[in-house]
Amino acid sequence: MAQQTLLQARGIVKNFGHVRALRGCDFDVYPGEVVAMIGDNGAGKSTLVKIVAGVQPPDNGELYFDGEPVTLADPTEAQALGIETVYQDLALAPDLDPAANLFLGREVLKPGLIGKLGFLDTKAMTAKTLAAFKNLGAGVQSATAPVATMSGGQRQSIAVSRAATWADRLVIMDEPTAALGVVQSRAVLELIRRVRDQGIAVIIISHNMPEVLSVSDRVEVLRLGRRVAQFVTADTDMEALVAAMTGARVQEDAG
Amino acid sequence: MKHTRRRTRTLVALVAAIAMIAAACGDDNGDPDEPEAAEEEVAEEPEAEEEPADEPDAEEETEEPAEPGDEMFDITLIPGVTGDEFYVSMECGALEAAEEFGVNLDVQGAPQFSPTDQIPVLEAVIASGPDAILIAPTDVDALQAPLQAAVDAGIEVVLVDTTLSDPSLAVSQIASDNLLGGSLAADALGELMGGEGAALVVNVTPGISTTDARGEGFIQGLEENWPDIEFVGQEYSDNEPARAAEIVSAVLAAEPELRGIFGANLFSAEGAATGIRQEGRDDVFVVGFDAGPAQIEQLREGIVQALIVQQPLDIGYQGVEQAVLALTGGENTFEIGTGFVIATIDNLDDDDVAPFLYRSDC
Amino acid sequence: MTQIPETDLDTNGATDAEGAQAPPSALKWLTDRLADSTAFIFVALLAMILVFTVLRPDAFATVNNLRNIAIAASILLVLSIGQTFVIGTAGIDISVGSMLVFSGVVASLAMAEVGGGQGWASVGVGVAVSLLAGGFWGMVNGLLVTKVKLPPLIVTLGTFGGVLGLAKVLTGGINLRTVPNELVNTLGIGRAFGVVPWLVILALVLTAIFGVVLRYTRFGRYTLAIGSNEEAARRVGIDVDLHLLKVYTLSGLLAGVAGIMNLARFTNTTIQGHDTDNLQSIAAVVIGGTSLFGGIATMFGTLVGVFIPTTLQNGFVILRIQPFWQEVAVGAVLILAVYVDQLKRRARNRL
Repeated sequence: MAQQTLLQARGIVKNFGHVRALRGCDFDVYPGEVVAMIGDNGAGKSTLVKIVAGVQPPDNGELYFDGEPVTLADPTEAQALGIETVYQDLALAPDLDPAANLFLGREVLKPGLIGKLGFLDTKAMTAKTLAAFKNLGAGVQSATAPVATMSGGQRQSIAVSRAATWADRLVIMDEPTAALGVVQSRAVLELIRRVRDQGIAVIIISHNMPEVLSVSDRVEVLRLGRRVAQFVTADTDMEALVAAMTGARVQEDAG
Repeated sequence: MKHTRRRTRTLVALVAAIAMIAAACGDDNGDPDEPEAAEEEVAEEPEAEEEPADEPDAEEETEEPAEPGDEMFDITLIPGVTGDEFYVSMECGALEAAEEFGVNLDVQGAPQFSPTDQIPVLEAVIASGPDAILIAPTDVDALQAPLQAAVDAGIEVVLVDTTLSDPSLAVSQIASDNLLGGSLAADALGELMGGEGAALVVNVTPGISTTDARGEGFIQGLEENWPDIEFVGQEYSDNEPARAAEIVSAVLAAEPELRGIFGANLFSAEGAATGIRQEGRDDVFVVGFDAGPAQIEQLREGIVQALIVQQPLDIGYQGVEQAVLALTGGENTFEIGTGFVIATIDNLDDDDVAPFLYRSDC
Repeated sequence: MTQIPETDLDTNGATDAEGAQAPPSALKWLTDRLADSTAFIFVALLAMILVFTVLRPDAFATVNNLRNIAIAASILLVLSIGQTFVIGTAGIDISVGSMLVFSGVVASLAMAEVGGGQGWASVGVGVAVSLLAGGFWGMVNGLLVTKVKLPPLIVTLGTFGGVLGLAKVLTGGINLRTVPNELVNTLGIGRAFGVVPWLVILALVLTAIFGVVLRYTRFGRYTLAIGSNEEAARRVGIDVDLHLLKVYTLSGLLAGVAGIMNLARFTNTTIQGHDTDNLQSIAAVVIGGTSLFGGIATMFGTLVGVFIPTTLQNGFVILRIQPFWQEVAVGAVLILAVYVDQLKRRARNRL
């Protein structure tokens, strides 16, 4: 591919004591694509996601964003680059409403002096939240009931909407449908496509092969802390993916 | 008249209902409240029955509107703290007098000996409009203004046990002469120690007029009559037996010559005895103040050798007497000092000591 | 969906978002509020007042008595404001009463140094010293919680004992009585327009200000977000440690204010009188519907929660009920309030 990568990881190493989670792992994301990151348990997916999200620093290796080398010391630095992450546990505040969650840490203050005192512009945040839900087709009607009162699918939608609202470039989703039923999963996958259609790249971690095949543009396979294969989704099938994941077939790294 | 009867009945019923609800909330412990509800009934009913017989004080009653059916004087006793045997005994004496003089006596108090807890209770009592208040002020200054408010509301105030910086607002103040009590303790302890060794005072907390006086009296008594006894100091237990025990353990470690301790109140003496027992010493004498069941037990066990016993029953009795005198236009005695009894294992069951021991209920 | 119990944060938004579609009937509004535990305890307080008023209208429902109830509640109310924020973050502050005493002690010492303990200069110095002392200990609590990473219960249990001990060291355990008349005659026993005590006004103004802060500002939002899910707050980039430090410092500052109020009211430092302030303030906050697990807190609830025990005590004394029943009743109310909160939560999280 001749296109400039959005995010490029090269030779990432991360050890936890004696556990070698990543052993020189590469990864590529191109602008505006949905790339699935797959791999068996212990392949290093979650660790790699945390490094890209700025939650943990790598022991070794480089990250490039728009071709430029970057270091991500904490999540806010990743956010400043336009990278948002939807964690498996969603990281929502259950007692707060969707609008409060969507704008958490990025609250809109009232204009003028009163805003300088820290007063929230709840009306503006609620309106923008409802607009974001509508825009993404998220099945959340109320922006004002506590998140704890909502279904798992609605919560997932709120988390995804939050990420999509603030990510200019890249949304990372760790197992977004793992806890959801069929109908809700379908809605979230649809939401992912709409995020991509807005020009934002998406990394999705998933164990669900049909889901990967249905939503992604490309697939990258990790195994034992390394990237072992890259596929264009349209040109592959489940058998090939599973073979790569289990090590039955090794593909030379294209990067 | 009918109207007032009905209201009194309604009141009684509602009070009983609340007590019931409270009891139901309190883990369905229904039994203890029944006598209380009944008591309330007895206390209120006769008032209504006797209504027609107007007595001279009825005029005074009219000053307090919507307080119908009050024939007998209402007197409220506010002890320094609830659940303390000294104050319970005072209550017993007051009840005895109330029965004798035909007045209603109510007891209200706070669970902590502190003006922060006592003042709200006092204010509510004032609002309930009794004819007289017997109170053991928990602070010499902080209670001044609230008690002035009581006087301004036409309530007679009698100070019992403790007092105020300016007691002139009260019609009478009745207390043990604690200075004397302290010096009696010094004499008792000096005798036990054979006039030599070191002595310690475990007091409650500074700033309480009564216990401060006991400590002072003890120190004076020691200086005057027991020149060969070394005074090692006064420590404060904060009214916690455990604290008193710790203090005694520590001082015993530091002062091997320690042979005598004066515990200036119930918990201080109790804790001091515990501390001595913990250290396994049998050559240290303890003189306590007051005679609650726990101390009498310790006296019997030989852990405490003498008790300076106040006469709280007498204080309570005389308190009510003075209140009634004030209400009926009699002549008050402004300052009344009540006496002491010294209890030892030998005289504990004698007729001139036994009636003065404190009670946990009347 | 059944009744959604609404938290502090969403009530104002609800009218914006949903009011337009279907204007709720007055009845629905009422039932919604009744499902809310804050409303439940408010109704309970009104019921208490009603019962006492019916039983003893001459004694209970008088201006003077209600004023006394308000005064009795005022100092605890100020402590409970800070406690509401702390519990809102899923923390706890056991040390409020000790910080109050310490602030009062150092303020009294300072006032004795200035103008011989009399005059407005003395008052000014005393107030400043009290706030500084309270704020200082609050900050110490906050630093121990955030930097040393100790549990708030342990930290404030430590300062509860330690700070009170220091106060006693400074005074030899004797209550200090240096309080300028200027302070006693204004804040202590003075009344605005001869009717409303300044103690009560101060407490209510602080309650209103911090109620607004809790509900309408970013400070309040962060407080509840941290209490609701601290990790989530960290991940969106909120400086959780800094915010917790501010919250514990606020609790200390308010204890400093309460320390001055206490001096003004009791004209001495009442060292022995605040051992249970912590439990009383925690009970008031929890009765008021603030969740011990954090994330849900309302200042109005705390206001009601402070007044319930105070009113009960006053009413019981006036009705001449044995004093111990008041403790039983407050305990029962506390358990009932937490039970209602649990029920509400269970219903809400059913989905």
